Amino acid sequence: MNAVTKHIIRFILLWLLQVLIFNQLEFGFGIHMMVYPLFIMLLPFDLGILSLLLFSFLLGFSIDIFSNTYGLHASSLLMMAYFRPIIFNFFAPRDGYDPLKQASINDMGGSWFLFSYGNLLLIHHFWFFLIEIFRMNEFLLILQNTFFSVIISFILAVVLQTLMIKKVIPK
Amino acid sequence: MRNLFAFFRRFRVFLLFALLQVFSLTIYINYLSFPRNQYLTTASVLTGEFLKLENDLTKHFNLSKNNLALQKENIRLRNKLKMSLYKLEEGFIKVNDTIFQQQYTYIPATVINLTVSKRNNYFTLNIGRKQGVYRGLGVFSDKGVVGVIHNTSEHYSVVKSVLTKDINIDVTIEPIGLFGLLKWSGRDARRGSISGISNDLRIKKGSKVVTKGGSGIFPRGLAVGVVEKINPIEGEPLWDVVVKFSENFRTIQRVYVVKNLMIEEQKNIEENIPDDEEE
Repeated sequence: MNAVTKHIIRFILLWLLQVLIFNQLEFGFGIHMMVYPLFIMLLPFDLGILSLLLFSFLLGFSIDIFSNTYGLHASSLLMMAYFRPIIFNFFAPRDGYDPLKQASINDMGGSWFLFSYGNLLLIHHFWFFLIEIFRMNEFLLILQNTFFSVIISFILAVVLQTLMIKKVIPK
Repeated sequence: MRNLFAFFRRFRVFLLFALLQVFSLTIYINYLSFPRNQYLTTASVLTGEFLKLENDLTKHFNLSKNNLALQKENIRLRNKLKMSLYKLEEGFIKVNDTIFQQQYTYIPATVINLTVSKRNNYFTLNIGRKQGVYRGLGVFSDKGVVGVIHNTSEHYSVVKSVLTKDINIDVTIEPIGLFGLLKWSGRDARRGSISGISNDLRIKKGSKVVTKGGSGIFPRGLAVGVVEKINPIEGEPLWDVVVKFSENFRTIQRVYVVKNLMIEEQKNIEENIPDDEEE
């Protein structure tokens, strides 16, 4: 399958999952499950940051339209896309990134994925709840929501990758 | 000029980021205060149709429970009908139209999309301007108050629910008649609180909370919930009254939009109240 088609299918799949399933589920404790940041994470390493920003805006906004949040998801996904190259540089392997690989848990390993995606999710969720609640005296609520949601979203991302991405068997 | 281009090229990533960020935040903040833009919300036709399709698939999950609730309401209303009342004497029951003028009319609706776990929760209804819905009308279900219409399109409307930051519905605690404003803290979809209740009065746990009807949006006496807990607020002579909503918003489907036919009259006469003059 062509790489571009693969990303388009992934875009639509994650969008449908978020809008139809994860926006409707509710667990209490302020948990919001977000799977769509995975799309931005799995884009190629050598993609320019300008197109990264545009894609994230597109995805965030199309989720906003269907969940009555008017720009909230777009704003937090932009934040995440802006920090993606910075976080990736910080956790770069010694000889740089292999452009043939994906930023997935299978290609890059568990600990790399935990640190980079975990940090990006933390930025995304913190910005999301900060803008949504936007009150300093409810700062504890912001932190609580961020903490629980990041854990759940991260586990979801790992599960989804094991389901969606075929493992490449090394020759 | 060349320096300007060089500047743009150097900071193009940050500039694009800032531009898109400002754009999305502007939409978000604008929408919260002045809902004008209907094309980017669930009140628009495309997203409305999509969500209606989804609702058609999932609405049967709670069908038996909803039928039971509707049946109960039917029985309650049927009990009030003239034909089910016993006539004690000829002319004992008299419905006189010059005494009872209709003040509120009701429009039935179905909730086709909702959230309960966000800080501000909006519900989408399957009726819109065609059915005579406009901004500011009240929405309630057979169990209790739901919210206020926030935005409408031709066929759909978005409700600002009780589970939002600044909903401020005026309510009263029943037997003693204390007034307060209904608030929601964002933590629990089953519980809200009432602010502005002074602590010199005793409130019993389990007393009913109903709408006051002062602003003319809701009729007086619609159920909101029951008092569950009363906590003192430190340093203020006020109670923090915790209310358990009588409606479970997670499973809500059938609602009514209430229209007050005399609200113009009330507004007109209240405009004549002179403002407080500063000395």
